Amino acid sequence: MAAQAKTPWEFSCDLEVDFESDEKASMVYAALAVDKELQPDKVKRNMSVSDGKLTVRFEAVEARFLRASFSSFVDVLTLATKTIEEFGGGMAL
Amino acid sequence: MKKMMALGFEGSANKIGIGVVTLDGDILSNPRHTYITPPGQGFLPRETAQHHLQHVLPLVKEALKTAQVTPDDIDCLCYTKGPGMGAPLQVSAIVIRILSQLWKKPIVAVNHCVAHIEMGRIVTGADDPVVLYVSGGNTQVIAYSEGRYRIFGETIDIAIGNCLDRFARVLTLSNDPSPGYNIEQLAKKGEKFIDLPYVVKGMDVSFSGILSFIEATAEEKLKNNECTPADLCYSLQETLFAMLVEITERAMAHCDKNDILIVGGVGCNERLQEMMRVMCSERGGKLYATDDRYCIDNGAMIAYTGLLAYAHGTSTPLEESTFTQRFRTDEVHAIWREKEESKKANGTAE
Repeated sequence: MAAQAKTPWEFSCDLEVDFESDEKASMVYAALAVDKELQPDKVKRNMSVSDGKLTVRFEAVEARFLRASFSSFVDVLTLATKTIEEFGGGMAL
Repeated sequence: MKKMMALGFEGSANKIGIGVVTLDGDILSNPRHTYITPPGQGFLPRETAQHHLQHVLPLVKEALKTAQVTPDDIDCLCYTKGPGMGAPLQVSAIVIRILSQLWKKPIVAVNHCVAHIEMGRIVTGADDPVVLYVSGGNTQVIAYSEGRYRIFGETIDIAIGNCLDRFARVLTLSNDPSPGYNIEQLAKKGEKFIDLPYVVKGMDVSFSGILSFIEATAEEKLKNNECTPADLCYSLQETLFAMLVEITERAMAHCDKNDILIVGGVGCNERLQEMMRVMCSERGGKLYATDDRYCIDNGAMIAYTGLLAYAHGTSTPLEESTFTQRFRTDEVHAIWREKEESKKANGTAE
């Protein structure tokens, strides 16, 4: 037990959104990856795309940072998704 | 030949606006929606961003429909990079990044202050004025010189619009259509001038002390019937605007320019325009000002300024389409102005 290196990233949370399309998932990834976390010493965000899914992992040193980061991320994720839904269909033709 | 055309997104404060504009300054559509808070309250970043989230996509549709254009007609997508409130700025940035990928169109990041100036110039036809940029978030006296819009004087604390808005909260005036508008209307009924501090420091101005003073004395004076809310609005306007006239006049003398262009939300105040017009005419110059359609934040000003930059070869890669709360007017290389200047210098007849 002595070797237990206690990581400061005690709080974590995973989010997976299935776009059923690598193209859409990558678009959202590219749009959201531009904005870095504002307090990288307190919250980390890792994103990846595979099988048409966007996977996001949040890690934070305190629960309140995790909540704040997660909640604002969900807002912009929703906006990005809605933008694809509303403008990705017929208008592109 | 098809005219170049841009779609522009503005959402740096409590307005979200989207405009379609051509390179020669034709505004094909310019819808916007304002987040109006209850009397006595200001707008906070998070709530303002929520407002923008709700309205941005319907506004895009409205802007395209009114302009009768399709995404195919658009040459570039412009958005406000800053300055402004972080969370509200992010809304435009996110939408533009997605649309850029969906429609395969380039992005152009735009400085909000420069956009106000360029919109003012194209709408009024002012060629090379001293610019007074007055709004809820900014107070600057600006003039173009050698590739950049340079700041000759500015507030050293809060913006003039912030001072007026916060005083409107003291009087619990309505924020609809804007607190400044309601102060202006009430000020017309003012009869008695209340002495307030007058704070000009060289080329700069300071408003926060005046605000503290009037906040502290207003309640007392009103209670004792020493003055009316209208008198206070009148006195505050006269004092603040006199300060602006002073530093603007000094900038004009310094830059040897005779015309003034007023832009920004406070720029629609007709009393400010009147005071500036008197000073300007005494110097043999002309005052250029616009009404609330163009003075107040809107999408068209972002579209037009972005399009100017794009037409001169500037665009912003997706990975760099960030936003920032601080972004000074003089950080921008106004490449399109350099071309204008060199055209003027070379064109002997024109």
